[in-house]
Amino acid sequence: MISLISYLIISLVLFIVGLVVMISRKNIVAILLGIELILNAAALNFVAYSRFVTNNLDGHIFSLFIIVVAAAEAAVGLAIVIRFFQIKETIHIDEATQLRN
Amino acid sequence: MEYTVGSIAPIFLAPVLAFVINAFLGRKLPRQGDWLATLSIFVSFVFSAKIFGDFIFGKFATDYFIHKTFTWFDLSYGANIWKVDMGIYIDNMAAIMLLMVSGVAFLIHLFSTWYMDHDEKHGRFFIFLPLFTSAMLGLVLSDNLFSLFIFWEIMGFCSYSLIGIYNKKEKAGDASLKAFMTTRVGDVFLLLGMVAIWMVIGSVSYVDIYAAIAEGKFAGQTVIGISLATFAGLCIFLGGMGKSAQFPLHVWLPDAMMGPTPGSALIHAATMVAAGVYLSLRMYPLMVLGDLTWFIAVIGAITAFMAATIALVQTDIKAVLAFSTISQLGYMMIGVGVGSYNAAFMHLITHAIFKACLFLSAGSVIHSIHEQEMPKMGGLRKYLPYTHFAMMCCTLAIAGIPFFSGFVSKDRILGDALYFGFMAGQSPLMAIVPILGFAGAGLTAFYMFRMMFLTFYGENRMNDHHHDDHGHGHGHDDHHGHEIHHEHLNARQNVPLLILSVFTLGFWFAGTLTGQSFGKVFGAKTEWFKILVEAPKVEKFIGHPREAFGSTDTKQAVALEHAHYHHQTGYAGPNPDEHKIHTAHTLGAILSIIIAFSGVFLAFLMYIKKSVKPLASTFSGYTETLKNKYYFDNLYVDLIIKKGLLGLNNFLSWFDMGVYDRFAVDGWATVNRWTFKAAKWFDNVIVDAIGVDGTGVAVNLFNLVLRIVQSGKIQFYFVMLIMVLASYIWTLNL
Repeated sequence: MISLISYLIISLVLFIVGLVVMISRKNIVAILLGIELILNAAALNFVAYSRFVTNNLDGHIFSLFIIVVAAAEAAVGLAIVIRFFQIKETIHIDEATQLRN
Repeated sequence: MEYTVGSIAPIFLAPVLAFVINAFLGRKLPRQGDWLATLSIFVSFVFSAKIFGDFIFGKFATDYFIHKTFTWFDLSYGANIWKVDMGIYIDNMAAIMLLMVSGVAFLIHLFSTWYMDHDEKHGRFFIFLPLFTSAMLGLVLSDNLFSLFIFWEIMGFCSYSLIGIYNKKEKAGDASLKAFMTTRVGDVFLLLGMVAIWMVIGSVSYVDIYAAIAEGKFAGQTVIGISLATFAGLCIFLGGMGKSAQFPLHVWLPDAMMGPTPGSALIHAATMVAAGVYLSLRMYPLMVLGDLTWFIAVIGAITAFMAATIALVQTDIKAVLAFSTISQLGYMMIGVGVGSYNAAFMHLITHAIFKACLFLSAGSVIHSIHEQEMPKMGGLRKYLPYTHFAMMCCTLAIAGIPFFSGFVSKDRILGDALYFGFMAGQSPLMAIVPILGFAGAGLTAFYMFRMMFLTFYGENRMNDHHHDDHGHGHGHDDHHGHEIHHEHLNARQNVPLLILSVFTLGFWFAGTLTGQSFGKVFGAKTEWFKILVEAPKVEKFIGHPREAFGSTDTKQAVALEHAHYHHQTGYAGPNPDEHKIHTAHTLGAILSIIIAFSGVFLAFLMYIKKSVKPLASTFSGYTETLKNKYYFDNLYVDLIIKKGLLGLNNFLSWFDMGVYDRFAVDGWATVNRWTFKAAKWFDNVIVDAIGVDGTGVAVNLFNLVLRIVQSGKIQFYFVMLIMVLASYIWTLNL
C-alpha cells in the first residue's frame, strides 16, 4: 500500500533535487528546470495531502494552479533567457550582473 | 495791581530770544546783532522797572511777594511725592535786583557796542552777553534752588565763554578754564546742599524751605554726624563762595579780566559774582539755623582784607579792579554774616553800579590808549575828562567817602561788624571781623586812589620806556609814542558811564539807613532799603498756598504804612541792645570816615606829592608775596594739582592700565579665547567628527555587511532563502 509517507518522500526527493539543481547549476535553463522540479514537489505534496488528510479537491485545484503558474513562469523565464542570450551570447548565470553598481 | 506771567516772563525771555537770534542769524544782521541784544536788555529793563516801581513805591506791603509755580515734571508714584516745581518768586529784594541787573546790563551792552566795534569777536561777544544777562535775570526770578542752579551753571558757561573769547590767546583759554573749574568746586557743594535739603523736605523751593525752617523740620536731622541745617547751609555757602570768589576759591576772578573789559564789567558787577551773595541772602534763614553766620563773616573778612592787600601792588588797571571786586564781595559776606541783611544787599546793589562804572571806565581808558598798565598811563585827566569824572565818582563811592553810595552801604556793614565783633557777646576771636573789615576799608581807599592818581594825574608816562617789565597787557607795545586824541562826548562810550556815576551818589540809597542821626542827610523818607528789604520771616510761609503759573495775581495793593514798619522792622528784629547798636554804628561811621580819608591822604602823599616812598620799596619782601597773590595760584597748581591730583591721576592711570586693562580687559580676552577653543573643539570633534563623519562611517560599515549579502548572485540568494526558511522551521520546532 502506497502511504502518505511514500508521497512525501518522493516529494522531498524532488524538492531536494530541484533545489540542488537550482543552486549548483550555472546554466539558467537548468535553474529553471530545478524550479520546475520544486514546483512539482509542491504540487505532489498538495495532492498527497488532499488524498490522505482532507479528502477533498482543494489540493487538486492547487496543483492545477501550480501547473498553470509553472507553465506561465517557464514561458516568461525562457523568454528572459532568450533575451539574455541575445544580449550576452551566453546563458551563464554569473553573467547576469547588470543591476550591480 | 494785577500780575500775570505775561508781564514777568519777558524780563527773562527777551534776552534769551536775542541770544537765540544772534547765535543763529547774528552774522547776517547789520552790526552782527549788537543792537538786538541791547534792545532786548532794554525790554527787560522796562518790565523790571514796572515791577520795581510797583513794589518799591508803596503799592505793596513789605512782605508781599509774587509766587507762581507750575509742575515741571512729576515722578510721583503712590505715596512717594517726587515732584519738581518751577516758578517765579518776586519780593522786594528780587524787584530791586531785577532793576539793577537789567539796568546795569543794559548800560554795559550799550558801552560794548562801542568797545567791541571792529573787534573780530564782536558777534560772538553779543551772543553770550544777552545769554549771561538772561541767566542772571532768570536766577533772580527763580523760586527754587533747582532752577537757580540751572541758571547758575548757564552763567558759569557764559563766563567761561566770555573770559576765553579771545580763544587764540593761550592765557585767555587758561583763564576761562580756571574760572570754570574753580567755580565748579563750589557748584558741586551747592548741588550737595540741595540734595541735603531735598532729603528733608522733598522740595528745594524757597517757600518750602522757609516753611520747613519755621516748622522745625530740620531739627534733629543729621548728616555724617553734623546737623543737617549746618551741612546744607555750609554746602550752599560753599557754592556761593565759588561764584562770589570768596577766600579759598577767589583765584579765578583776577584771571577773569582776560576777557573784554565790558564782559569783565558784567561778570564783576551785575551778574556772576552777585549770584553767590544773592544766594547767601536767599538762604539766610538756613544759615542762621545752621549757625553759620560767624563762618560767613570770617570768610568775608579774610577775603575783604586779603584781596585789598593784593590790590595794593597790582599795576594792571583791571587787576586792581578785579581784586577790589573780591574785596567788596568780602564786605557783602561780612554783611550777611554779621546779620546786616539789608546793608549786605544794598552793598551788592551799590557795588554793582560803581563797579560796572569802574570797569567800563577802565575799558574806556584801555580802548582809548591801548594800554592797561598803570605805570605807562598818567595825566589822562586832560584827554579823557568824562571818563575821569565817572571814574572819580565811583572811586569816591568805593573808597567810602561820605555822600557816596559805597559809604552808605559799607559803613552800615562795618558798623554792624563792629557790634558783632565786640559787643554782641560773640567769641573774642570774632573781633577779627571788624578789624580786618576796617583795615580793608582803609586799604580800599588807598589802592583805589593810587589807581586814580597813577592813571589820571601826574605827568603822562606813555612815552617812557622804564616800565617795560609789565608791558604785555594788550599786546600794543608798538603803540608807544602815538598821540592821544581828546575825548569827545560819545553816546555809547560816555553816556553809560555818566548815567552809572549819577547812581553812585549816596542819596539814592541813604537816609537813615546808615544808622547815624547825622547821616540823615536827605530825610527819613528815603530809607527804603531798611524798610523794604528784610531777612525772610519764615513763619509767614507756613501753609502758603501755591498759585498756578498762569493765574492772575489778585492781591490788592497795600499802601505802605511808614510808621508801622518803622517800628516793626528795625534792624535785627526787636533788639534790647538798641543803644549798643547805635553806639557801634556811630563809632563805625566815625572810624570809617577817618580811615577812608587817611587812605586817600596816604595815596595822595605817595603818588601826587611823592613825599612818602611807595610801599614797594619799603616792604619789598612782602610786596613780592602780594605780587604773587599770596601764592594761591602756586598752591593750587604746584601743590594740589601737581602733587596731589597728578599723583592721584597717575595712580588711576596705573589702575586703569595695570589692573583694569590687564586683568579685566585682557582677562576677558583670555576667557573668550578659551571659550572659542572649547567651541572649536566641540564643533570639530563632536559635531563634525562624530556627528557628520560618524554617519558616513556608519553607512560604510553597513555597506560592508550588506555588500556581502547583496552579491547579485541569484544562486546565493537561493541559498540564503533556504537557510532563512530552514532557520524558521528550526525555530518553530524548538
